[in-house]
Amino acid sequence: MNKIGKLLEELHDAETGLADEYRGVAERQSTDHGTHYPCHTLAAQCDQHAERIRAWAQRFGKDISAPKRSDALASAAGSLRHKASETFARRPESGLLLLRDLRQLYLKAEAVNIHWIMLAQVAQAVRDQELLEDVSGLHQQTLTQIKWLKTRVKDASPQILVVTD
Amino acid sequence: MADRIADVWGERTPFAAGERWPQRVDQFLTVPAERVERWVPSACVLCSNGCGMDVAVADGRIVGVRGRAADRVNHGRLGPKGLFGWQANNSRERLTQPLVRVGAELRPTDWETAMEVIVARSKEVLAEHGPLATAFYTSGQLFAEEYYAQTLIARGGIGTPHLDGNTRLCTATAEWALVESFGSDGNPGSYTDIDLCDTLFLVGHNAAETQTVLWSRMLDRLRGPDRPRVVVIDPRQTPTAREADVHLAIRPGTNVAVLNAILGELITHDWIDRAFVDAHTTGFPELAQVVADYPPQRAAEVCAVPAEAIREAARIIGTGSRLVSTVLQGVYQSHQATAAAVQVNNVNLLRGMIGRPGCTVFQMNGQPTAENTRETGANGALPGFRNWQNDVHVRELADAWNIDASRIPHWAPPTHAMEIFRHCEDGSIRFLWVTGTNPAVSLPELHRIRAIYGQDRLFLVVSDAFPTETTALADVVLPAAMWGEKTGCYTNADRTVHLSEQAVDPPGQARSDFEILLEYARRMEFTDNDGQPLVNWTCPEEAWRDFTELTRGRPCDQSALTYDKLRDSSGVQWPCTEQAPGGTERLYTNHDFFTAPDICEDYGHDLVTGAQNEADEYRAHDPDGRAVIKAAHYLPPHEPVDDEYPLRLTTGRKVYHWHTRTKTARAPQLQAAAPDAWAELHPDDAAQLGIADGDLVRVRSRRGAIEVPAVLRGHRPGVVFVPFHYGYFDQADPDRHNRAANELTRTEWDPVSKQPIYKVTAVRVQKIADAAVGGRPVVITEPGLSATRDDGTAGGTARGTAGGTARGTAGGTARGAS
Repeated sequence: MNKIGKLLEELHDAETGLADEYRGVAERQSTDHGTHYPCHTLAAQCDQHAERIRAWAQRFGKDISAPKRSDALASAAGSLRHKASETFARRPESGLLLLRDLRQLYLKAEAVNIHWIMLAQVAQAVRDQELLEDVSGLHQQTLTQIKWLKTRVKDASPQILVVTD
Repeated sequence: MADRIADVWGERTPFAAGERWPQRVDQFLTVPAERVERWVPSACVLCSNGCGMDVAVADGRIVGVRGRAADRVNHGRLGPKGLFGWQANNSRERLTQPLVRVGAELRPTDWETAMEVIVARSKEVLAEHGPLATAFYTSGQLFAEEYYAQTLIARGGIGTPHLDGNTRLCTATAEWALVESFGSDGNPGSYTDIDLCDTLFLVGHNAAETQTVLWSRMLDRLRGPDRPRVVVIDPRQTPTAREADVHLAIRPGTNVAVLNAILGELITHDWIDRAFVDAHTTGFPELAQVVADYPPQRAAEVCAVPAEAIREAARIIGTGSRLVSTVLQGVYQSHQATAAAVQVNNVNLLRGMIGRPGCTVFQMNGQPTAENTRETGANGALPGFRNWQNDVHVRELADAWNIDASRIPHWAPPTHAMEIFRHCEDGSIRFLWVTGTNPAVSLPELHRIRAIYGQDRLFLVVSDAFPTETTALADVVLPAAMWGEKTGCYTNADRTVHLSEQAVDPPGQARSDFEILLEYARRMEFTDNDGQPLVNWTCPEEAWRDFTELTRGRPCDQSALTYDKLRDSSGVQWPCTEQAPGGTERLYTNHDFFTAPDICEDYGHDLVTGAQNEADEYRAHDPDGRAVIKAAHYLPPHEPVDDEYPLRLTTGRKVYHWHTRTKTARAPQLQAAAPDAWAELHPDDAAQLGIADGDLVRVRSRRGAIEVPAVLRGHRPGVVFVPFHYGYFDQADPDRHNRAANELTRTEWDPVSKQPIYKVTAVRVQKIADAAVGGRPVVITEPGLSATRDDGTAGGTARGTAGGTARGTAGGTARGAS
C-alpha cells in the first residue's frame, strides 16, 4: 500500500477543502473587508499548496487530480453569498456569523497543519532533503494562516460579543 | 517678484554637498508691510514638511506670512500653499456658531445647548451599549496637545479602543514600515541628509508637488556643482520624475516586484555592505532567497518597464556612497503597502546606509501633524510609541493617568479607522465624533460612507472650521478654531518640533479643539483613581508638559522639550532630553535599533496577512537591537483589470490643493490655479475611445461613476489619474455625486498598516460630450514642465487649457524678499 501517497492525498484534500472554505467565507463576508480580501489571498495560497502536493504525489507514485471546480457554478454560488452578505451587513447578528466562519476556517487550517507535521516527519525519515525543504516552507505558510485567523478572531470578538444591542 | 503659482519652487539657490542650503525668504502680504503690527512665530500646516514661518497680524486679522530664515527646515522658503493658504482663516464661509440637527435641518444654537446635546447622548450610549459603542476619528492637522487630550479621553476616560486619525489614510504605512524594520516609529534621518547625499531614490513620492520646499532643497542640490544621481519609481511622469536619471514608470500596483528586482541586483553585484548586514540586521538569508525569484527580466514583465532600466537603477543605487531614499503615497496607498515600504528600508539596510550623514530612508508623512497623531497615541499605538501587548508599557500609562490598567483597552491593537466605520455600519458603534477631517470626500467608496454616516442610529458629531460634505451629515456641528487662532506644537517628517503661537482670535464663537475636548471631559465627569478629574489641564502647555513627560525613556523622548525652549529655537528634532538638550539630528548613529522586546513599539506582523506576532515568539527570535529585514513576494491586486473595466485608476494630489480643499479652495490664487477636477488619460487610450482633449468623460468602476473633462497628458497607456481633492461643497447641486474620485475606489486596506488602497482601481472610460458642447472648462496648471532646463532659469509653467475657455490664474503677489 502506498502510505505516503495516501497521506499526500489526505493533505491535498485538506488544502483544497480549506481553499473552498476561504472562498466561501470571502463571499459570505464580502462586507467585512478585513476578512473578505485576506480570505481570497489565502485561498490562492492553498491552491498553490495543492499544486505542489500533486507534484510530490507523482513522485511517490500517486496520481491526484486537480479539484474540478465549475467556475460558472462557483461564481453563481459566490455572488448569491455576496448578495446575502450585503443584505446582512447592517445587522448585529452578522458578527456572530463572522465568528462562526472564522472558527470553521481555524479547524480546517489545523487539519492541514497536522498533515504537514506528518509529512515533515516522513521527509526526515526517508531522508528526502528536497521534500523537507519544500514542506517546511509551505507548512510555515499554513502556520501563518492559523496565526492570522487567531489575530482576526481576537480583534473581532470583543466588539461582536460585548456590545449590547 | 515671482509668480509663485507659475513658479512653484521659486528661484534656484544651488549648493554643493556639505555646504549650507542658502537662505531665501519668501513672503506674501495682503497689506503694505508698514501696516503689519506684529509677526507671530509658527510653522506651516499645509504639508508634512513643517516650514517655519511668521504670521503677520494687523487689526486683529492675519494679513500674511513670511518664511523664517533661520529655521532648520526651510531656511526661509515657503511653497504656494504656505504662502497663500492662510487666507482661508479669513474666509466669510467659516463656521462661527454650533449647529444642531432638527429633522432634516442643521440649526444654529449656542455652545451650552450643543454641548448638552452631545454629552447627554454620549452618556446614554455609554450606559446602554458600553464603551465599545463610542468612537473618535481625528485628523493629521490638529496640534499635539489636542491629540493627546483625545487619547486621554478615549483610552482613559471612555475606555474605548476606537480612536484613530485620518493619518490612517496618509501615513499609517510610514509608521508601520518603520516599526516593522526598526522596532519603532520615527524617521531615522534628517533633512540635512539631502544636503550631503550623492544619490536620491524616490519611490512613489512626487516630492515636487507634495512637499514643494523639500523639493526646492533637492533641486538646489541637482543644480549644484555635484549633482546627486536620481532614481524615481512612479507610474506617472511627474515633475519629480522629469529630474530622474532613471525613471521606472511601473504599472500601478507592482512596487514589490520592482523593489525585489533592485534588491536582487544589489546582492548579485555585491553592492551590499556585508559587515553592516552581518552585525546590525537579521533576516538577510530569507530576503536573498525571495528576491532571487525576481531577476530584472521577470520584474520587467510584471511591471512593464525595460529590464535594462531596472539594472541601471540598481547600479545607481548600488554604486553611490551616500544614499537617501524616500517613500510616499505611491507605495502607501497601493496594495502591499507595508511590504513595499519595508523593501525600501531593506535597500538602505543592505547598503549599510542609515544613521550616518547623507545616508537614510524617509518614510514620509503626508500631513503636517501626522507625527503627533502617532506619538500621542491617537492612532495605531499607545502614547509614546508604547506597545499594547507589553504590560509594562500599559502600566506606565495607567500610572501616569492614575487609573487601573484594565481601564485602558489593550486586548487587541487600537481599532483602525476602516474597522471603526465597519462597526458603525453594523450598528455596534452608536456615537462617532469626527474632528478636523472630511471623510465624506476622503474615504474610499463614498456611497457607502454616506450611507454609514447618514444612519439614524449613529449619532455623529463633527468639529470643523468650515461646512463640509461631512458636517452636512452630522447631528451636531461644532465651529473649530484653525491654526493661527490657537497655540500648540507639531512635528514634521524629520522629527522637527515647532511651537505655533496664537496670532489672532477665532471668528465668532469658534473654539479650539483643545477647549472643546476639555469641556466635553469636564461635563462627562471622567475621574481618576482618587476621584479627581482625569483631564485637569487649563491650557495646552500643561498638556504638552504631561505628554512630553510620558515620552521619557521612549524612542520619541521629548522630556526636555519645553515651550520656552521651542520659543527660542529654529525647530528642535526629537529626541530632546537632558543628555541631548539641543535635540538629535539622526537616530541609530550607533546602529542600535529599537527592536529589543522590552523597547519595541510592536512585535510586528506577517506582511502578507497582517497576522500579529506575540511576545513569546518575538522573544524567541529576539533581534536584540538589530534591524529586521522582512521579505515579501509580489502579489497581484485583488481587483484585476478585465474586458469590462480595462483601465487602472490611480488617484492623487496636485500641488495647489490640500486634501478636500476645505482650506485651499478659499485661497483665491490656489483655487484659480486648479478650480475643478479632471481625468488624465494616455493619448493612445483616448484615441481608441474616440476621446479628444477636453471632452467630458464618464469614468466608471464597479462602485460608481464620475463625470469630468479628459486631459490627454497621461504617460502610461492603461492608466487613468484623477485628483482626489474635489468634492461637492462648492457645486451647484451638492447632492449630485459625480465628481469625487472616491466614488470609484473600493474598501480594501493594507493588511499591516490598514491604510486604504486608492491606487489600483479597475475602471472604464467613455465619452459623454464634446469639449465644445458639454465639456466643463478645464484649467490644468502644470508646474515646472520647463523646470528641467539646465540653463538656470526659474522653472516656467505650461498652462494648458482644454475645451472651453481659458481661465487665467488670479496670479500671486508673492515676493522673494531676500
